[in-house]
Amino acid sequence: MIRFEPRVESDALWTAASFAMAIAAGLAASAILLASTGADVLQVFSALLQGAVGSPKAVATTLVKATPIILTGLATVIAFRAQLWSIGQEGQVFAGAMGGYLGAQVLAGLPPLLFFPGVLAFGMAAGIALGWLAAVLKNRFGVNEIISTVMLNYLVVYLLSWLLQGGPWGESGGTISYHQSPMLPNEAFLPGMFGSSRLHAGVLLPFLAAAICALVMSRTPLGYEIRGLGYNPEALRHKGVNINRTVTIIMLASGALAALAGAIELFGVAHRLRADNLIGLGYAGIIVGMIGGLRPLGTVFAGLFFGGLASGAVYMRVLGDVPAALVPAMQGITLFFFLCAGVVARYRIVRVAVQ
Amino acid sequence: MSQLFQEAIIVSILAATVRIVTPLLFSALGELITQRAGIWNMGVEGTMLTGAFAAYLAATATGSLWLAVLAAVLAGALMGAVIAFMTSLMRVDHFIAGLGLNLLAGGLTLYWFQSYIQGRAQPTFSGFQNVAIPLLSDIPLLGPVLFSQRALTYVALLAVPAVWFLLYRTRYGLELRCLGENPKALDVKGLSVTARQFAAVMLGSAMTGLGGGFLMLGFSDRFLADFTAGRGWIVVVALIAGNWRPRGVLIAVTAFAFLESLATHLQVIGAQVPHQLLLALPYLASIALLMGLRFRTGQPARLGVPYARE
Repeated sequence: MIRFEPRVESDALWTAASFAMAIAAGLAASAILLASTGADVLQVFSALLQGAVGSPKAVATTLVKATPIILTGLATVIAFRAQLWSIGQEGQVFAGAMGGYLGAQVLAGLPPLLFFPGVLAFGMAAGIALGWLAAVLKNRFGVNEIISTVMLNYLVVYLLSWLLQGGPWGESGGTISYHQSPMLPNEAFLPGMFGSSRLHAGVLLPFLAAAICALVMSRTPLGYEIRGLGYNPEALRHKGVNINRTVTIIMLASGALAALAGAIELFGVAHRLRADNLIGLGYAGIIVGMIGGLRPLGTVFAGLFFGGLASGAVYMRVLGDVPAALVPAMQGITLFFFLCAGVVARYRIVRVAVQ
Repeated sequence: MSQLFQEAIIVSILAATVRIVTPLLFSALGELITQRAGIWNMGVEGTMLTGAFAAYLAATATGSLWLAVLAAVLAGALMGAVIAFMTSLMRVDHFIAGLGLNLLAGGLTLYWFQSYIQGRAQPTFSGFQNVAIPLLSDIPLLGPVLFSQRALTYVALLAVPAVWFLLYRTRYGLELRCLGENPKALDVKGLSVTARQFAAVMLGSAMTGLGGGFLMLGFSDRFLADFTAGRGWIVVVALIAGNWRPRGVLIAVTAFAFLESLATHLQVIGAQVPHQLLLALPYLASIALLMGLRFRTGQPARLGVPYARE
């Protein structure tokens, strides 16, 4: 008979081995999924690779696709490390785009050096407001944050739907409503880099944000409180830390990061307010943050991996007829195996003699 | 507005409430069984979605609605097995396991759905029709509201006392509730906690899947992305609001169904309110409800705490 026994100390080699097995199992399961719908597995995988890193253009697309999900991933890391299971990232991405769009109207005409920081701040403020709501609901009213953030997500999505259809921001062509805003003026597009209009300057921000998150988490009292809240809130309370205040700060920061993703998506990619570009970025961030081991650096790698997958999927669709939903399906599968690997890494398998 | 018209509207609102409550009721009773067994399953949304998708596949592929019901039940049970594997056996945090399941179910169903309809017009089916119960359906007001519904609606309403009986009047139910309150008591008696949690979660999730299946077969003729649209989360709220009791859960889901029914009818009557606001009502109500429910006593003591032998 075999038994699982918790490990006293973590074993780096065993941990690495279990996560390597998770990636292998995730790829194998994805291959089975592809085969189940009659796709040519090798062709799909090579197309994915080609589309992710096969050319400078592919790499640029990978970076652009990775940008929002690294940011929502970091938003996840901050909250989940404190065992605050906020899944408000999805709604906060929408709020960030809406806030940014509002900012673009208010700040129109400012020089770029003021305009872009300004509109991104508008977007982040909207995400902060949502995070604050969830924090108040938790602190003051004891509402479970998973449930409150899910409900807030739906409310924000309906708010955007109203703004674009029936509300003040919709683009109407005759009698048809397009469920989108008019295009932003050209000067409100985030500038491109390296002579590419696709590779907007916003792709630098997730790396900056990850560095700041890593510093705060490991080198500041706040980071200590975040980790302590997840590890042993009772001990933290006895140390005299105001738990409610820490919860609020975490929710605000998490909301700001997720909203930044939405604002960058608006000014860097879509250039108009519409839901299609934003759907799923928050949920993908939860996967990215968790696969990244709830660490900023890991999240950057996981985000780049899934950004590559998304970029590869765009390329693949041009070639063949594999459904676009391959990306979320592979994300879900990989997450599943990583969750299992995370557990396996914490246990030893022991043989027990049967009496 | 004439008297006759007003009466017709009221009957229509109430009848729609009973119809809308059916999938919520199946799923909530299933989640009640799961949570009373100590598993804080946040994967209701994904389980309902999978049940709905399985029902759609079976209904369009075989043309048999009852085979579709069976498919939804089996799909739900399978999702339950995944949840039980992760929570009870692997001891993954219950919230994380549920979120993971939702994301997995969302991705997989969408992928299979897109490959299923690729290169052709989306197949549709014609769903369940009302089955009027003779005599009872002739009673004024009560007849059209309660006794002229889909067959599965009657099953859902009867499932409330059935689940109550199972939980409170059988040995199986006693053991099941013990899983949520004091699993150690079972363990020291030499009874397997894991095996019982597997059984309970699979049974509960089968009912949750059936709820998703009915949502498909009783209301729609085709699958869409995000088909369940947050109903799984409403179910989780209803469980808290219903204080983990069958009757409380029935009242909570009925309140949600009434809101949704009211919202659809306001649209039909032509009230001057943005339809998005009406659609948002159940979610607003959920938040308001949870704000008022700070102290609930019915929560199983060991809900969401992985059981590990000392």
